[in-house]
Amino acid sequence: MNHLVDLLLIAVGAAFINNFVLHYFVGICPFIGVSRRVDQAFGMGLAVTFVVTIASFLAWFFTWFVTRPGAPVTAWVWGLFAPGSRTVLDLSILNYLIYIFVIASSVQFVEMYLKRFFPALFKAFGVYLPLITTNCAILFACLEIMKHVSGVRDPAAAWGLDQALALAVFGGLGFALAITMMAGIREELDLCDIPEPLKGAGITLLTAGIMAMAFMGFTGVDRGLAAFLR
Amino acid sequence: MLTPVTILTAAGTMLVLAVAMALVLGWANRAFHVETDPRVEAAEGALPGANCGGCGYVGCSEYAEAVVLGGAAVDLCPVGGPSTAGKLAEIMGVGLEEKVPERPVVHCNARLEDRLGRRPYEGEESCAAANMVAGVQGCAYGCLGFGDCVAACSFEAVRVAEGLAEIDYEKCVGCGACARACPRNVISMVPFRHSRVVVVKCSNKDFGPEVKKVCKVGCIGCKACERAMGDYFRVEENLARTAPEKFEPSLDFGPVLEKCPQEGIVFLGLPGAEGRDGVAPGRVEVEFRTTVDQAEWRG
Repeated sequence: MNHLVDLLLIAVGAAFINNFVLHYFVGICPFIGVSRRVDQAFGMGLAVTFVVTIASFLAWFFTWFVTRPGAPVTAWVWGLFAPGSRTVLDLSILNYLIYIFVIASSVQFVEMYLKRFFPALFKAFGVYLPLITTNCAILFACLEIMKHVSGVRDPAAAWGLDQALALAVFGGLGFALAITMMAGIREELDLCDIPEPLKGAGITLLTAGIMAMAFMGFTGVDRGLAAFLR
Repeated sequence: MLTPVTILTAAGTMLVLAVAMALVLGWANRAFHVETDPRVEAAEGALPGANCGGCGYVGCSEYAEAVVLGGAAVDLCPVGGPSTAGKLAEIMGVGLEEKVPERPVVHCNARLEDRLGRRPYEGEESCAAANMVAGVQGCAYGCLGFGDCVAACSFEAVRVAEGLAEIDYEKCVGCGACARACPRNVISMVPFRHSRVVVVKCSNKDFGPEVKKVCKVGCIGCKACERAMGDYFRVEENLARTAPEKFEPSLDFGPVLEKCPQEGIVFLGLPGAEGRDGVAPGRVEVEFRTTVDQAEWRG
């Protein structure tokens, strides 16, 4: 039960309280660039959710099995070369490199796969899929997972795959929510009398700032929720 | 802590990972290979790349795909015109029919001083917004003059002068973006078989007395043009319309232009051999202004 509550708190935290865009200010380029129309923004949000889920799965997988101190695969391979050695290998220096490497390759792979077997979906994602590869929101999710897998002192508190995926899926959905709301506002802004110097990116960033302040209203919801559920 | 062991294992890990990913991606590239038609690329190369959407597809590459794979017509590109259509026809190996180029025509002739019953309007300066408000101007059919068509044009071929949209036919390529942008459908695409054509510059379908209440130059549906030149003009729904596909430079429009009490029948397009005089009889060249009459329109 406590585990489920943990998952719920991670999900709520990722989607609302610590929204990727509105709290951490990552993924601003698609947030500004592709928020002109609601349908496009929604597609972008779903594409980000999709990619961040895949990337987080792989990031958790490699962090857990390869790069964290005393990771099983690394220890096993090291054991082949130096049987009986008591050195605990820590490959954490490779985290960033491996994340970027793995994200880029997996998105390439997914793109080829979609093109072959789901051409309609491939067309719907269009140029967004390769674009998202270099999106900082994706790397941010990976780093957040890294923090909770190899950065914790107590090994029992390290995140499992379910917690990592909860963060990824709901973080992605939070991004989709934010960008879709932004697109809705921007569609209305098109019919408004905006002062000349603020037109375009200016008013959009101001709007994003006000939205971020509105989302600050969620602060503390997780503590209240935890107290209520436990 | 960077010990030689860590460095070696890190390098080894990356090496193994790189080789594994390369193998996976290389395999995927072959296993998931999709045959693409080389003609799609050729067709895309033949298109002008303006991505204006005049063909009805999202962009040039989508149109190229539609031509090669979807069997779309080869002559839909208004920007490239006959030469592009010829190239596409060659790529596809099909014959080509002659197509009459289309150009936008603003079916409204009323400058600011001709429009009656206008009221102060303080909203957003766009036709789409003003069109939602009732009573911005008396005529519910005519040009609003806020220039949504100007904004839509990628070729700087539209301007608003004295509150009326005008097309510069020397710059216009006929992509139809302005016609799609106009919320009142005042602009329509008209076939230009020659460099000029005769059109009726009014969209008002109300009865004559109603038109006279809101406009000084609107068509009152008197049918004088239909009586004088029945095969070119016809009056439907109290509005004179033309058959521009029948236009010939040899036709004599003199009597009709004289008969029309509202002077709503005009020559449009590039000046013919007879010079600029033939473009729009009775029309006064107006000074170009960037905004519509501020004194009255902004209230």
